[in-house]
Amino acid sequence: MQKDLERKFLLDFEANQNIVHKICRIYTTNKDAHNDLFQEITIQVWKNYLKFRGDSKFSTWMYRVALNTAISLYRKSTRKVKTQDFSAIAYKIESTPYEDTEEIQLKALYAAIHRLNDIEKALIFLYLEDKPYKEISETLGITNVNARVKMNRAKEKLKNILNP
Amino acid sequence: MDLLDNYKKAWKNQPEEVSKRSTIEIYKLAHSRSASIVKWIFIIGILEFVIFNALSFFMDIDKANEKLNTLGLERFIFYFNFIYYVVLAYFLILFYLNYKRISVIDNTRVLMKKILVTRKTVKRYVIFNLAITALIVIIVTITTLQNEFDVVGGTNIILITVILIALLGLTLGIMWLFYQLLYGFLLKKLNTNYKELSKLNTNN
Repeated sequence: MQKDLERKFLLDFEANQNIVHKICRIYTTNKDAHNDLFQEITIQVWKNYLKFRGDSKFSTWMYRVALNTAISLYRKSTRKVKTQDFSAIAYKIESTPYEDTEEIQLKALYAAIHRLNDIEKALIFLYLEDKPYKEISETLGITNVNARVKMNRAKEKLKNILNP
Repeated sequence: MDLLDNYKKAWKNQPEEVSKRSTIEIYKLAHSRSASIVKWIFIIGILEFVIFNALSFFMDIDKANEKLNTLGLERFIFYFNFIYYVVLAYFLILFYLNYKRISVIDNTRVLMKKILVTRKTVKRYVIFNLAITALIVIIVTITTLQNEFDVVGGTNIILITVILIALLGLTLGIMWLFYQLLYGFLLKKLNTNYKELSKLNTNN
């Protein structure tokens, strides 16, 4: 029973790990912190996996656990961290000799998101992931109206950073 | 087209993470030890319960009791101890239940609220302890002064009282500062985020 559950968890998590990586990239700025947060999210998803009833999609459920961990449970690691920007490194590996517009945009987007506060980061992330307002308000525990108001403010702030 | 729509397109087309974890790596990570603030609050909370109770072991109980008996406070101390342990049990149970209720699958605001409630339970316990300590010191001092008035002498009483109040104030002040630093350090981010979400719900 436990073994089956564990196997299912591993496969689910492996298939959806990109969500977690994106959240780590938003909430941390270096590789050590990224790995640290990734580890904590993995622990939390596994610890709560029994409570995942399957009445929602695993990925939907994982958004909540991962964001909650990033916003509420995770404290910056006390380890000495390099100040080099991790997202910049990650894209150096990825990039081909020339950089296309989308790559430049993506870099600028991550850099801009890093300047938002934790809650705004969550809102913008869910917007970029095309989540409906119902899901956004339920995830954060605020009303639908408030989610919209706050989202508009966060978007404005992001636009101002991207295009001052 | 909105400015953000362009960026959203870039977001959607972003390449997958380069250093993907294998199932074996995920297995290892999932079974490693959590370092979440909830765990820290639980550990620190338990330590506080233990430390405050351990303090009594460092005192010479027999000698203290003897002294209290001569002061005629034994009955008071008996009831006092009884009430103290009932309250201690109450706090411990409450602390554990609060901790158990914390669930990362709650929505963000509820989760943060539950974490803060757990921390508040310990805070109340600490305040309770400090208040009790202050109370005991004051009662014992007053009784002592009443009983041994002649020995101590009139002018010294005021001096002793002043010194005692100053010491008491200083001790409580230092402890208060210590807790502010300890939890302030641990919960700064959470408090900020909680305020950010709560502010939203009252303002609009």
